[in-house]
Amino acid sequence: MKILIADDSRVMRQIVTRTLRQAGFGDHDLVEAADGKEALEKTTAEGPDLVISDWNMPELTGVEVLRKLRAAGNDVKFGFVTSECTPEMQQQAEAAGAAFFIVKPFTADRFDEVLSPILG
Amino acid sequence: MSVDVVVNENDLAEMVEQVWVSYLDPEGVSPLVPTGDEQQPSEVHSSVSITGSWTGHVVYASSTEAARKAAAAFLAMDSEEVSQEDLSDVLGELANIVGGNVKAMLPPGCFLSLPQVVLAPESATKYPNAERISGLYGVWEGEPVSVSMWQSRDGKKEETA
Repeated sequence: MKILIADDSRVMRQIVTRTLRQAGFGDHDLVEAADGKEALEKTTAEGPDLVISDWNMPELTGVEVLRKLRAAGNDVKFGFVTSECTPEMQQQAEAAGAAFFIVKPFTADRFDEVLSPILG
Repeated sequence: MSVDVVVNENDLAEMVEQVWVSYLDPEGVSPLVPTGDEQQPSEVHSSVSITGSWTGHVVYASSTEAARKAAAAFLAMDSEEVSQEDLSDVLGELANIVGGNVKAMLPPGCFLSLPQVVLAPESATKYPNAERISGLYGVWEGEPVSVSMWQSRDGKKEETA
């Protein structure tokens, strides 16, 4: 499977990559995007099976990316990994069609719990 | 209008502990040990601003060595390999993580800025019209680390330090 990791922080993209590996998902094909616009473009162009996205990013926020994808008829599995987690954000994410919401800081166990049903 | 702060030192300590357990001290052998020393020196710092129902800043500050150790832990590399870019990026991420967790404890309607990183002591940055309302000060492997919250003062004129 192909997984797109969208985060404007290079450090966090590396940590997400490492955590995926630690959680046993290291053999998937990983693609990175450094802002919301790039996330939208790469999701459209490369057709990943899963998008793991930050919320607060330049150009487009994660939820804006998700809304644009859904508006264009793209139903890729999409979830958030973010340091911000308010009930209103979770509601927005759910309403936009997000599959999960992981809060930073996170552990490999948390990734396993959330992503196993999706990645198998 | 800002509301009274609902995030105190214990809350900050809990958030910081999560960061340490997740990334900086997963083995549980070198936690951040609180000292309460508000005067402890720093050499680098990062911050995020929060606006909305609460307005202010969340600031992470440390020695350069502590930032280097944090970067090495975050990026799974040796301290000697850490570049200035690594150090800056990790400092920004630390402010972002703590700031995001702070935001989650505030009343609805807050916005979090992208992080700002300054490779200079915390005292080099002034937060106009804001005062420190809480802070966690400690030592990690002998190096100073702190997280503080600065709340904007509504309707009060800026005071020069």
